[in-house]
Amino acid sequence: MDAKSTPPGTKAPRPRPFSPHIQIYRPQLTSVLSIANRATGVLLSLAAIGLVIWLSAAAAGPEPYAVVQRALVSWTGQVVLFGVTFAFFLHLCGGIRHLVWDTVHGFALRSIYISGWSVVAASAALTVAAWTGGLLVAGWR
Amino acid sequence: MIVESSDQVSGFSWLKRFPIPRNFKMTAESQVEKGLTWPAPEGATLTKAFDVYRYDPDSGDNPRLDRFHVDLNDCGPMVLDALIWIKNKVDSTLTFRRSCREGVCGSCSMNMDGTNWLACTRFISDLDTPATIYPLANMSIIKDLVPDQTHLFAQYATIEPWLRSKTPEPEKERLQSPEERSRIDGYYECILCFCCTSGCPSHWWNGDRFLGPAVLLQAWRWLADSRDEATEERLDNLEDPFRLYRCHTILNCTRTCPKGLNPGKAIAEIKKMIIERES
Amino acid sequence: MSRRSFRSPLGRAIGLGSAKRGSRHWFAERATAVALVPLTVWFLASIVAHAGSDYTVFTAWLRTPFAAGAMVLLLVALFHHAALGLQVVIEDYVHSSARFAALIAIQLCCYGLSVIGIIAVLRVAFRS
Repeated sequence: MDAKSTPPGTKAPRPRPFSPHIQIYRPQLTSVLSIANRATGVLLSLAAIGLVIWLSAAAAGPEPYAVVQRALVSWTGQVVLFGVTFAFFLHLCGGIRHLVWDTVHGFALRSIYISGWSVVAASAALTVAAWTGGLLVAGWR
Repeated sequence: MIVESSDQVSGFSWLKRFPIPRNFKMTAESQVEKGLTWPAPEGATLTKAFDVYRYDPDSGDNPRLDRFHVDLNDCGPMVLDALIWIKNKVDSTLTFRRSCREGVCGSCSMNMDGTNWLACTRFISDLDTPATIYPLANMSIIKDLVPDQTHLFAQYATIEPWLRSKTPEPEKERLQSPEERSRIDGYYECILCFCCTSGCPSHWWNGDRFLGPAVLLQAWRWLADSRDEATEERLDNLEDPFRLYRCHTILNCTRTCPKGLNPGKAIAEIKKMIIERES
Repeated sequence: MSRRSFRSPLGRAIGLGSAKRGSRHWFAERATAVALVPLTVWFLASIVAHAGSDYTVFTAWLRTPFAAGAMVLLLVALFHHAALGLQVVIEDYVHSSARFAALIAIQLCCYGLSVIGIIAVLRVAFRS
């Protein structure tokens, strides 16, 4: 990938261009689910900081805990938690898919696509189930 | 929705590329500019527009995207036929690699409508209108659709793709059972077209150190060959955070292989073999 | 001459040679992932089951040996997995010399946060 060599005394040639890659490559289930797994992983790392804050508030006493709880039950808090729940299930199901691949199973293209769509469907279903369950329990309580 | 084999063209037509600027993060000399529109041939009843990446190293200009109108009644059914038609009838400076025209030599690999494949086995009718023809992704371009594959072949050389033996040569053949021979099925057939490596995002970001699916598939081919006796050295050579472990099982490679091979699976086998020797 | 380097293509592909390691990191990421499957599912189920409950009920639950123990294990596995995963992300995208600083920062943050979380759980668990 060096520039062309030139005879001495001539002007330096322009370096060779690189062909476009992410700018033109077609998004496919393979690459989209993979980047989603990474993005949800990074998001969950940030959510883990929130988890530690929440636990520290619980350890500090009822008043700090109440402050954190108020933030969590606010509209913004609930939207964020919903997003984090979906991200969690996507990363969990995607992660299980990766663990299966590590045993060298499920590499046929058909299996890759079936497992891929299953991950998306399962994540959506589990998110809805978890939130329905939580709201029912909270309402009953 | 469910892709059964890699020759299936992507059905999704609403997201042909990631929604980022066309020249996002491209170096100044790589940015693609608007190009010429070549006139449609006179009297042609059935034409199709092709947007083709052009780069002339002698002109000092940036690469550009030229539009050609191909007379489909005057050329064969494959994209390579269209490119040859353009070169014969419209612009003889259009430059591309080609040889066997039947999908066995790997010369005409390029990016068509966003995915890498061989031009000689891709039907024109499977492409959008206008069809977009780019060279293999993330390659140093010599001219038009011709990439510089020097680095890729250098990476191939680092895995020592030949039989390495320590026991003395036998009188006749090196024996191998049918079951042992079947272990290299699905790996020896690689034609080194580099569609997979060029479509691997990990190779886009770390191509200088990550070997890429094509080279790793060939590495597995030699690891799986029962006649080879350098397994230990091969695995030592591969066990590296970058050479092997930049693979995150994205699987664009398996999706795009024009020969229907499975580099993702080969890499998973290598990782499994490395773990197995640790315990 | 305009070429930046005269190193041969093979020399450039060989680079600094194989590090001959990397499988340990890869395996640890998988081991922590396997541990996290039951731990996170347990955690989420507990949160759902305790939705809407007040401070006393919540801390009484966290005080039980099983809940406290599982929570500590969750924090250990979660931050170890996060540290490993984020290390890979940094290595993928950051190529300047800043990557060593970023890698160290990620490790320190992850293990620091896990210690803080564990101490918080233990405080609740051992409070009379």
